[in-house]
Amino acid sequence: MKNSFSLKAGALLTTAFGIILVSGSTGGLAFAQGTIPAGFKTGALAPEPSADMIEAGKRVYFTKCVWCHGVDGAGDGPGADRLWPRPRNFNQGTFKIRHTASGELPLFDAKKPTPGQNDLFETVTHGLPGSAMPSWEGILTEEQRLQVLSFVTTQLVKDRKFTDKQSESQTILQLGDLTPIAPTEESLKKGAELVIEKKCVECHGADGRGDGNAFNLKDDWGFSIQPANWHKCWNFRGSRQDPYNVKNIFRTFSTGVNGTPMPSFADNTTVEERWHIANWVNFLCEREADGKPLAIDPSADKPKINFVVSSGLAVGEISADPEHESWKNRARRYVAMGGQITHKPRNFVNRIDDIWVKSLYNDTHIAFMFQWDDRTKSVAEGKLPWAPTSVNVDIKEQEPKTGEEGSIASHQNNYTVYNDAIAMETAVKWKELPSPIKPRYLFGSNEQFPVDIVKWEADGSLRAFKGTGWDKDFEERLNYEENIKILFSEWKNGRWTVIVQRPMGDKKEQEYDEDTFFEMGQYIPTVFFAWDGHNGDAGRKMAVSAFYYTFLEPPTPREAYIYPVVITFGVVLLEGWVLTRRSNKRKGKAL
Amino acid sequence: MKALMSVAALIGAAGILLLAAMTVGIVPSNTVRLLEGYMPVQVVFELILFVAGFTGISYMMAAMGMAFPRFWQGILMWTFVILYLKFRIYPPIPFSVRAMYGAVSLVCVFMWVSANEEDWKKFKQPIMNVLDAKTGGIRILRYAYLIILPLLIGGFSYNAMVPKSEEPIELRTVHPAPPASTKVHGKTYTLQTSQNPYRVNLEGKYDQDYSNAMTVEQGMGRLMKPNANPWDKDAQGYLKYVREGGEIFYQNCHFCHGDNLNGRGLHAFAFNPIPANFTDPGTIAQLQETFIFWRVSKGGIGLPNEAAPWASVMPPWEQHLTVDEIWKVVLFEYWHTGYYPRTWD
Repeated sequence: MKNSFSLKAGALLTTAFGIILVSGSTGGLAFAQGTIPAGFKTGALAPEPSADMIEAGKRVYFTKCVWCHGVDGAGDGPGADRLWPRPRNFNQGTFKIRHTASGELPLFDAKKPTPGQNDLFETVTHGLPGSAMPSWEGILTEEQRLQVLSFVTTQLVKDRKFTDKQSESQTILQLGDLTPIAPTEESLKKGAELVIEKKCVECHGADGRGDGNAFNLKDDWGFSIQPANWHKCWNFRGSRQDPYNVKNIFRTFSTGVNGTPMPSFADNTTVEERWHIANWVNFLCEREADGKPLAIDPSADKPKINFVVSSGLAVGEISADPEHESWKNRARRYVAMGGQITHKPRNFVNRIDDIWVKSLYNDTHIAFMFQWDDRTKSVAEGKLPWAPTSVNVDIKEQEPKTGEEGSIASHQNNYTVYNDAIAMETAVKWKELPSPIKPRYLFGSNEQFPVDIVKWEADGSLRAFKGTGWDKDFEERLNYEENIKILFSEWKNGRWTVIVQRPMGDKKEQEYDEDTFFEMGQYIPTVFFAWDGHNGDAGRKMAVSAFYYTFLEPPTPREAYIYPVVITFGVVLLEGWVLTRRSNKRKGKAL
Repeated sequence: MKALMSVAALIGAAGILLLAAMTVGIVPSNTVRLLEGYMPVQVVFELILFVAGFTGISYMMAAMGMAFPRFWQGILMWTFVILYLKFRIYPPIPFSVRAMYGAVSLVCVFMWVSANEEDWKKFKQPIMNVLDAKTGGIRILRYAYLIILPLLIGGFSYNAMVPKSEEPIELRTVHPAPPASTKVHGKTYTLQTSQNPYRVNLEGKYDQDYSNAMTVEQGMGRLMKPNANPWDKDAQGYLKYVREGGEIFYQNCHFCHGDNLNGRGLHAFAFNPIPANFTDPGTIAQLQETFIFWRVSKGGIGLPNEAAPWASVMPPWEQHLTVDEIWKVVLFEYWHTGYYPRTWD
């Protein structure tokens, strides 16, 4: 067990905090001896918010927050049991994203909504991406956000007191005074070495996809917790709607994440080392081919989506090697995935929230390369108790209200493991569908307008199905499977890469009633499905995308070279005519 | 007058600098946010400020003896409108719509510069100067134009002919016509006459005035009325049902429709079109309660033929919820957004 060290460290750390919390009287906590780590300064506790603020905050809390965080702030509201991560339990005063030293309360001052000086205010303002906590900016006014926090910190944090000088201290990271080190090649190299030396990779995985110790980590309340995937910085809880900002990363591991096994690295790293690590982690986040950050959609705080997956013309055979030039030069497309929550068993927590798709085609075939992050490689252990093709199976799904023990959060990593899988669905007679060409339902319109599904599973199988409607079981297409082929499949350091090839289809030679015909230059409605076996995903318990369009890029037509030249020549003639006319007119006037 | 104009000029200059900085990314692009629900007003307000600013700037420059030629005023104004549409409005509007607005504003600019004979002459003057090319400098400029113009047009036409992939545009029917009645769990509900059985006063009678008085306040935050807390232990009637409806909402609906009912839930970003935003005055505020009951019960698959593209992942909730639960969720949605359902009279 190479991961046992960090596990023990995490456990020790949490116990240590536990003891301090219980004793409650040590004061100054971690740095009582005056050994303040580099980059920190001792601060003063903020004054207690006024009674008016607290009372006004109660009104905000019971309109907006109570639904997830519960009447007593114990993180057990009506919505809690179907969420993972679970909503925060405020009672212990344990907050993740802070500028204060590990174990300390976060910064909160009801009179000072200043960036960098009010952690809780920023959390409410920007939300916690990757969880159900939204950004409340633009919904609640600044005043209302301060009010609700006044209520939460005084009434719902029960085990600690924000104003108690005896038990609490504030050792504040002076992030504003620290200047980041430029992410030069040298800095990145040092960062890459440091994440190994400081054992970050033990939990976060060799490539930083959060796959290092995915099964054994628990938070303070005993719920499974997953190390962050450094490649999806927009899901960092502390990203503050500014995911590519290296300061957010620097802050998180300078102060640690309270309540989780993520410790503070303030004591065993210098400030300079921390910038190198932050630069490296930031560098790993997914980027455009030219190294620029992905454009982020401000209304979702996720990468912007383009619904056209374009396929490029390959010369000869389509390569089965993802490192081959032809694949490497293809642009990839970000496909966002949501939980399938229309049919039972519903998937409220989809652990695959995006996939990357590339595509190539030649005269006869089209191939798709799917890449997606999955912390666990899952190959089925148990047999699925229902037919994976059937829909609305009568099985027990997650009850809406179960209490902590039965909640989705406590089920994590205890599911029967099924196959990881990926599938794509294309409309068969897309050309005959009414405009704009999309099937009526996600699983096909009806018998007349079916969809064609190709599904790869981690046990190495590749199968084809036909979908004929919203509430219809998928039909297996046994006679079609010889036409489709797995070119490549591999799980490595938390990422699946799968290349699947299928015929282009042809209206003349093949049964157009059953296969999708991938016609060049046309928009072919396409949907993607993904399953995480360790999430108990199987059958319709899966992640789904919206309708995308596969677009086979046609080669540039000859006209594109001829007409522009003709037009240019025409413009020159026109210019001559205008000039002559003008000069004639002037001459006429002069005469 | 001068003081007024200098204030306007200052506003204009500051605004342009801010916009430019936000576009280029020197200042964070969310410095001046477009707020949900207030965006049209905000955009109109901003544009008024800019027009005032431009007027001020041109007045000041004229006063300082550096009058700005009408020709460049026109061109700059039009460029500004195009850039504003492209970079300021979010979510971005499709090119075809921008082209339409661009054409309209071009016509406006022409009307402005050709308002009277004198203005039109002033506007034409620079073009005529280039055509006549009386001085050496302008002659060079003329030749530059003669060469660059055909090349540019040729390049544009090549660009237009090279195959490209752009998302097909979809228009969506927001409120399809409802059926006369809908059958849920074996019982038929006539949409015209059905009432939400939980919109009741303390005596248990259907009472819309009572429930309207207990709903959340409009205005920023949309907070509950101080004396109408559904989480009050003693809450009875309408408020108690609001709480029960909210519980169902946060167990089933918020994944897509969001914690604040604004269509920005956890899974929302993956779907297209994104889930309905109930806080938008164009959705449930425009509809009867029975319409919502029908939509929730029948979901995306229950959309009528004309409501293309259906592409909705809204489940028919009758498969997951009881009739009572659906009515309570509808009740909660109106309470939380502070809208009154429309009535038939």
